[in-house]
This record gives sequence, structure tokens and C-alpha cells, in this order.
Amino acid sequence: MVGIVVVSHSAELASGLSALAAQMAGPDVAIEAAGGTADGRLGTDEAGVAAAIERAGRDGDGVVVLGDLGSSILTVRSLLAEQPDGHVKLADAPVVEGAVTAAVTASAGADLEAVVQAAEETRDARKL
Amino acid sequence: MPASSEAQTTATLPSDVDLHARPAAAFVRAAMAFEASVTIAADDREADAKSLLSVLALGAKAGTSVTLRADGPDAARAVDTLGELIAGLVETPG
Repeated sequence: MVGIVVVSHSAELASGLSALAAQMAGPDVAIEAAGGTADGRLGTDEAGVAAAIERAGRDGDGVVVLGDLGSSILTVRSLLAEQPDGHVKLADAPVVEGAVTAAVTASAGADLEAVVQAAEETRDARKL
Repeated sequence: MPASSEAQTTATLPSDVDLHARPAAAFVRAAMAFEASVTIAADDREADAKSLLSVLALGAKAGTSVTLRADGPDAARAVDTLGELIAGLVETPG
């Protein structure tokens, strides 16, 4: 099953969103949070993100990464550029809608491309 | 060629389960298993049954009658299965 990683400047935001996505997707999807710096401040920890990707990829079916803003995205991009791996994709999607949709889509057994696509389709979803 | 690739049914949400959060996710997950395109309609609004955000935005309340329409080779099985799922949803705690 495709795994999901939520990257945020905030540890609370990453873990809260991961919990929400996990509640909706059920126990079979690996959803990992990577939030804040290693010393507990707001920011991004490249090693922490790499470790989360490693954990989420335990099934070998690929990993979709959702990031919140700016340096979260840049950190993931640089990590993926350093270690090119076709099994890890950064979705260009709003982080809440994207993570929840990706997790539920993964829980249906969809493949990596389908999970990325479902996440990215949420860019056009209106709230009202 | 099959006689018809379209199917439709109605189902009623249990009196204590809104189609939100986990119940909506369970419904969408089940809908994704079918090849047919599937829509769910409630109160004159319609959603793509395979789109979580679309189903969440529909906001179908407990006790509401919904209409399921499917178009595709497994349309009949899709509306039967999903209709039963809607009627049998439970709000799991926690």
C-alpha cells in the first residue's frame, strides 16, 4: 500500500493532520508526520523528513509526500533531488485536503500515480 | 454488448450516521473499487462518489435518502453494493 508523509513547519500541525488522515483512511495505510526542527522549533528537519519517508515506504509500493509551505516543500525537493527515487513523489496539493484524500485513496489500494493524482486534484476543490 | 451499463438505486442513511469523516471515507473507498463512474445525490446536490472532498461537501445528514447512479460495466453491482453500505453505516467511536 502507498504510504503518506506529512511535512510541516509545525510538529503539532504535522501530527494532527496525520491523525485526521489516519482516522479516515484506517489502520492499513502508513501515515508519517515530519514536523518542526530536531530541537522542537518551527521549521523543517531534512533528516527527520528522510526518516519519515523511510518509515512510510515500508510496504515498497511508494510514498506520497505532502508539504505545507515554502521551506517544507524546498526541503523535500532537495532531498528527492539528492536521492532520486521514483517511488517517492511530492504532491503539488493543499496539505490538508491533499493528505486526507491521498490517505483514503491509498487505503483503497490505488497505486502511486493514482494517489498523487487524487491528491493533486484537490487543488481545484472549492470549499463552498 | 451489455443491455445496459447504467444503474440507479436509492438508499437511506441510518438515523444516527451523517455521511462525514469516517463514514464518508468508507463509502468513497468502496466506490473506488468499481470501474463504473458513480455519483451520489442528496437534496438536489450531486457528488462524485470516488472523490472524498466531493462527498464531504455534499454533507448528507443522517436519515437522508440518497440516490446512487452508476455508469459502466459493473454499474449494477456498484449501486447494489454501495446502497447496502450506505444503509448499514455505523458511527464507530474514537
